[in-house]
Amino acid sequence: MPELPELNPVIHGKLRLALLSLLSGVEEAEFTWLRAKTGSTDGNLGAQLAKLEEAGYVAVEKQFVQRKPQTLYRMTEAGRGALTEYVQALKQLLGGAIGS
Amino acid sequence: MMANAEELELKDRLNLIENMIAEGRRTTESWGWTFVLWGLAYYVAIAWGTFGHSNLAWPVTMIATGVLTGILSSRSARHRPETTIGRAMLAIWLGMGISIFALMLSLGASGRLDVHVSAAIVGAMLGTANCTSSIILKWKMQFACAVVWWAAGIAACFTSDNVTAVLFLAAIFFCQIVFGIYGMICESRKRSQGVSHA
Repeated sequence: MPELPELNPVIHGKLRLALLSLLSGVEEAEFTWLRAKTGSTDGNLGAQLAKLEEAGYVAVEKQFVQRKPQTLYRMTEAGRGALTEYVQALKQLLGGAIGS
Repeated sequence: MMANAEELELKDRLNLIENMIAEGRRTTESWGWTFVLWGLAYYVAIAWGTFGHSNLAWPVTMIATGVLTGILSSRSARHRPETTIGRAMLAIWLGMGISIFALMLSLGASGRLDVHVSAAIVGAMLGTANCTSSIILKWKMQFACAVVWWAAGIAACFTSDNVTAVLFLAAIFFCQIVFGIYGMICESRKRSQGVSHA
């Protein structure tokens, strides 16, 4: 019997998974946009994004637009690879249960 | 065999990924208003040029509308994520706008500006831009606009001055004003579909 894959614990967290999935559909996104889409609080969102950054899955860029600070998040290649592997592992674990 | 609760949780994760990817990709840009704005700008320039007999009508109106579009779109784009599709759209329409402006200005300055030639050029370019956008956005209605612009451009090569003008005014009405309002309605419907929360 083939060994079942393990799910990446960095991505498995619900909010971190939502953030990576959101970032996979855009080139880069602002902190406020991510907050609006996930309905998360500033503190929790910042902490989860920091964990993703620490793992090398997202890159952060801080800039000033019309004198206002703006924090932009972008998914890295490592992040994209990790999300793809996570989805494959999920599908493998679920097996025939998908779609039922 | 996987426990039922665990299976449900994994399915929930898979749904979350699908929903969030769709949410991120959902076009949050709204461009319908730009079609209406530019349609009105064309009418203003045509009216000013025809009744005011001014050579400044087209360049002034186009520059003013370009600046206004830039200001309004940069304000509405704040806080929105940058998408590849958004950048592709900007590239197409900006490139087309600069091409038309440069050509018309050069034709005007050289004294070779002719209603048939200019209508054919503008029709062909707007047809190309609408066609390219419609293929990227998979939007059949916009492809219909491309066909209308191409038809107006081709007709301008064969018809009289008056018929060319009428065809062009009609193309502006349908492909800018009507299509722009239709686009705004579609965008408003998309926005009201709601936001998924994690």
